[in-house]
Amino acid sequence: MSTTLRIALLAGLLALVSNLAVIGFIYYRTHDEAVATVHQQVIEQGKVLADVYRSGGKPALDDAIRDTMTYADPQTAVAVLGRDGRQIEGNLDAVPPSLAKFREGYRNALIRLRGQTTPREAALVMHELPDGNWLLSGRIAGEGLAIRDALEGSLLIALIVAGLLGLLGGLILANYVGQRIGEIARVADRISARDLSQRVPVSSADDAFDQLGRQINAMLDRISTLMEELRLLTDSLAHDLRSPVSRLRSAAHAAAQATDVSEQEELLGSVIRQADSLMRILTTVLEISRSEALTGRKQFAWFDVGDLAAELAEMYDPLVEEGSATLVYDRPAWPVPLFGHRQLLAQAISNLIENAIRYGASGGEIRIRVEPSERNIRIEVADRGPGIPPERREEARRRFGRLDTSRSDEGAGLGLALAESIAHLHGGQLLLADNKPGLLTVLVLPVHADLAGEVQEPGHKPAAAA
Amino acid sequence: MGRKILLVEDDRETASYLAKGLSQEGHSVEQATNGQDGLFRATDGSFDLIILDRMLPVLDGLSVLKALRAARIETPVLILSALASVGDRIEGLEQGSDDYLVKPFSFAELLARVNALLRRREARVNPADHRLTVGDLEIDPLSRSVRRAGRKLDLKPREYLLLEYFARNEGRVVTRTMLLEQVWDYHFDPGTNVIDVHVSRLRRKLDEGFEKPLLHTVRGAGYMLAA
Repeated sequence: MSTTLRIALLAGLLALVSNLAVIGFIYYRTHDEAVATVHQQVIEQGKVLADVYRSGGKPALDDAIRDTMTYADPQTAVAVLGRDGRQIEGNLDAVPPSLAKFREGYRNALIRLRGQTTPREAALVMHELPDGNWLLSGRIAGEGLAIRDALEGSLLIALIVAGLLGLLGGLILANYVGQRIGEIARVADRISARDLSQRVPVSSADDAFDQLGRQINAMLDRISTLMEELRLLTDSLAHDLRSPVSRLRSAAHAAAQATDVSEQEELLGSVIRQADSLMRILTTVLEISRSEALTGRKQFAWFDVGDLAAELAEMYDPLVEEGSATLVYDRPAWPVPLFGHRQLLAQAISNLIENAIRYGASGGEIRIRVEPSERNIRIEVADRGPGIPPERREEARRRFGRLDTSRSDEGAGLGLALAESIAHLHGGQLLLADNKPGLLTVLVLPVHADLAGEVQEPGHKPAAAA
Repeated sequence: MGRKILLVEDDRETASYLAKGLSQEGHSVEQATNGQDGLFRATDGSFDLIILDRMLPVLDGLSVLKALRAARIETPVLILSALASVGDRIEGLEQGSDDYLVKPFSFAELLARVNALLRRREARVNPADHRLTVGDLEIDPLSRSVRRAGRKLDLKPREYLLLEYFARNEGRVVTRTMLLEQVWDYHFDPGTNVIDVHVSRLRRKLDEGFEKPLLHTVRGAGYMLAA
């Protein structure tokens, strides 16, 4: 059974059930026990009179009619009508034309009894007698009898119509749902066929399908971004590995050519250094992709960020001093607990410090601060060097996005990119801002990051706070 | 002083290069080329050290390691791996390996680590006097005090840890990465000479004013503390 048909049947069934409930309620409220009793009595009375005729013939019936007119309650109607519709005997004041259309069985009609002024509703039974005349008997039943009867009939029709309409509505609904899902499925098909630019159409109605469509589109955007990043990465890897590889090659070549042993040793040492730096680049690129893919969260644990920063400050202090600058660490007064990857954060912070040493030590002071707030922990590394103008900051955080175009072998331009990807691993961000003068780099890490769920879109960054 | 080393490595070229180098150092090297064979040989517990490649046919290195530790075989294990990310290293160490070396590595780096691990085993077997002495240098790990030729040296906490690590590996090469991992407990590769700066500071305090230097630079490998 197709899904469409199933949805249609389900919707039809639901409509039927709800209509049944409404109709049942109306029936229950309007159906009168008294009316049912009247029906019963009228039918009984008709039968009795017909039996009287069968057993005693016309004289017995005449007696019975007379008795009824005399003794029965004044609401009883009884008459024998001729084939032409005239009353041969009975207590009707006049025979309404509708009764002249003879028909065996029960009916409702407006009649006026002798001595009454207005015609009233009556429940009547008619029997054809063997002599060709018609026996009529019944009771005045009060107001609304016909209405009630009509209502019951209408309710039955309504029930049938409601069932049909429910089925029809179900079919329309199923068709609509099928169509909306079909749109999404077609887009998915085209994407499977490698056209990632396809998007699910989203209407302005903002219904569940539009929301689904928007989410699928957001997912597709993210995939496209990642694919684009991957393409850029492979391109830049291929491009950026050219120069270290060619340096490695020429060093090896020179070593092979060298005649003097000590010179050869020197050159071979440089070959090894070049190879090491290549390996470092590859390892870092791998680390970045790992972090962006959010692997490594299973190694998260609680630790004190203030402690980690103190350790790193102590580690880099001598190196900063060598560059005749000073390293200042403002240690927070209290422990700053964070659930995260201690080793990777150590690497991220050390990348920021090394970046500051490499490009900002000329300014004299490198300052590290750890600033906890209710929702975020800010880890700041600030230098007093030349800084990075706002329009070049995006470039600076890109992989291989080294601003200094002269490619010396120090640093492959991966430091900030790695720090950023580690921030993403923690559901946080890397901000680059103006230290006035100098560069301020900030790792903003949420304290209660929902680490099982999505992290923020890496492309979505709030304005850097100065 | 030769030791028994089990080398579990499926790459023939690497294996023969390492086996040759380690044999030249006087160790006897037994080889296995897949994880199952390696585990089988390791279970008799007669080795002083196991060098275990992480990616092996039949049974991978971490599974071999897990099985060994589950069987209470505490032979020191040095993992070799092409998986270089910080997470991979931590995972390897958490599984119970004693050291983790990322491929490609220099033989000097491997040898330094092998010697450090063998040395540690020796220390575990023969617990020596708690005092460490190297020539006229005397280190008391309990009070963390250091004297050279009777004169007290004033070291910062990290400098002390650095010196103690050197002293525990007296006469053996210690590489920069080993220092970073063992003294600082960081498993990433810093892009700067930050370790060298620390060592040269320590050297100034240690050797300045003395005729005979104790802390030596070993070219292309690292450092060594020796009288």
